[in-house]
Amino acid sequence: MNVRDRLPSGHGDRALIAGVVCILVGALFALTPLRVQLPSAFYVFVEVGILFVIYGMLVLGLDLQYGHTGLVNFGHVVFFAVGAYATAMLSAQDSFAGIALAYPWPLGLVAGVIAAAILGAAVSLTSIRLRGDFLAIVTLATAEIFHSLFVNFEDIFGGNVGILGVPRPIAAVVSDGDTRLAATLLVLGGITLLTLAAVTRLTDAPYGRVLRAIRADELVTRSVGKSTITYKTQSFVYGAALAGLAGGLFALYNGAVAPGFFTIQVTVTVWIGMLLGGAANHRAVLAGLAIIMGLRLISRFALDVTPVSSDVFASMRLIVVGLILVAVIRYRPAGIWGDPQELGVDQ
Amino acid sequence: MSLLAAEGLVKEFGGLRAIDQLSVSIEEGELVGVMGPNGAGKSTFFNCVSGVIPPDDGTVTLEGTDVTSDSPESLAHRGLVRTFQDTRELETMTVRDNVRLAAPDQPGERTLPALLRSSSMREREETVRKRADELIEMFDLDHLADEYSSNLSGGQRKLLELARTLMLDPDVLLLDEPFAGVNPTLTREIADHIRNLNADGMTVVIIEHELETLTELVDRLIVLQQGRLLVEGEPEVVLEDERVIEAYLGGDSK
Repeated sequence: MNVRDRLPSGHGDRALIAGVVCILVGALFALTPLRVQLPSAFYVFVEVGILFVIYGMLVLGLDLQYGHTGLVNFGHVVFFAVGAYATAMLSAQDSFAGIALAYPWPLGLVAGVIAAAILGAAVSLTSIRLRGDFLAIVTLATAEIFHSLFVNFEDIFGGNVGILGVPRPIAAVVSDGDTRLAATLLVLGGITLLTLAAVTRLTDAPYGRVLRAIRADELVTRSVGKSTITYKTQSFVYGAALAGLAGGLFALYNGAVAPGFFTIQVTVTVWIGMLLGGAANHRAVLAGLAIIMGLRLISRFALDVTPVSSDVFASMRLIVVGLILVAVIRYRPAGIWGDPQELGVDQ
Repeated sequence: MSLLAAEGLVKEFGGLRAIDQLSVSIEEGELVGVMGPNGAGKSTFFNCVSGVIPPDDGTVTLEGTDVTSDSPESLAHRGLVRTFQDTRELETMTVRDNVRLAAPDQPGERTLPALLRSSSMREREETVRKRADELIEMFDLDHLADEYSSNLSGGQRKLLELARTLMLDPDVLLLDEPFAGVNPTLTREIADHIRNLNADGMTVVIIEHELETLTELVDRLIVLQQGRLLVEGEPEVVLEDERVIEAYLGGDSK
């Protein structure tokens, strides 16, 4: 039996300290003449690592919604995209197409978080009172609607090209490529660790107990005096805001946003990562995401040594990922590190 | 003035009137039993009173305040708490967490105190944990405290539900079939708990089929039939009533 008696003390603060340290070291690289040199074989790892820590914020938010509160969000990418677009449009210096307002980037980032949170609030307002499956459909539909808005409203969102000329704060202060990559990974990784610390604090506190109670039985939770609508809305909005933060940071790292970065593939990846690792366990969902993204990375190398075309290889990769998922669901339905009793699945 | 009063309650499901112009009043400190054949509207009555289902017509007042169609959570804040006929545990949570959850006024259930680990949250949690452990011990669940409640037996679930309810320190307790599926020893134990709570001043209303336990427990019996009040009064008198024997016991006086 696995019992986590969540005492609201200590636990989760390691992530807080590690996060602060990462950001400070990253800042050290960025602001001093200190330089790092990465072996060139390392680049791809660092680049995927940066994407991983950004997606890490997505999966932590999704897990707050689904793992802890039981809210099914099949359109998580839309909050990521809205955060990224809002940040990009506000802070871009000049874009090929679409709006570029050239405000300072911190303003853009804050606006990105707020925009995603507002969209989250709007979505939950329409469907959180309804049965769970409605939320799933509404989120999926919202993601599709926004995707086509981004593609079709060229004057606003830049169409398929997207918004270019987004400031890159770290690149602006570090000219050296290797150091820039390392600093970016450290700063963004640090922010993900801070996110981990924050969600851990939330879910370890009595706040998390109410969320898990809603996941188990909403009526019982109401009958012991908890306003479940408020908690469900909050949980959904917090998850959306985290995705918005991830989006804003992505825009500021990448220097551009385009619809191609925000496909349903993103939602699928974070969902698979969460289920693979084990929902309702913050570190497990991050580990699950690392596995799925790691597989993708390894397969890149494998492509060089396999005698098949890249098309065939891409299909094979999908088959392998699918098989792994089937195996996990068959043998560990609660995920690799998930607790089947807590998630209410039979082994 | 009654503590809890229902006036002319009506609830229809499709074409069926589950309760029909039902008026019931409960006085403070009373221990009242509600009985009636299946489909008499007992659970619907509880659902309407506890805010789970809004009634189509009629009013519910609690301590003189109109609480008709108030949400279950706001009624819980006002001191009216219920249990469910099919015990509803939070199965994916431990026994401890089931009980602790119900604690009112925990600042740690708000975002900021939770994020900041405020001292008010930690102090309240200390009290909550102590009280929860007391209740768990009181209901002989201490050896199961760290089990997921899905692992509990039917009777233990009834006890857990009671413990969780008491965490709220309610003024009015509505119990929906607390003895259903419970063995005789445990039935007596639960009955004793209910009697003690009532002696301490809690108003209790019980729906129950287990007539023997019910009649020796309660001060007053209310009999429902087809959504209406058939008879009410002292248990001995009610059970002798012709109409009750006819309707409830099918003419077969035990």
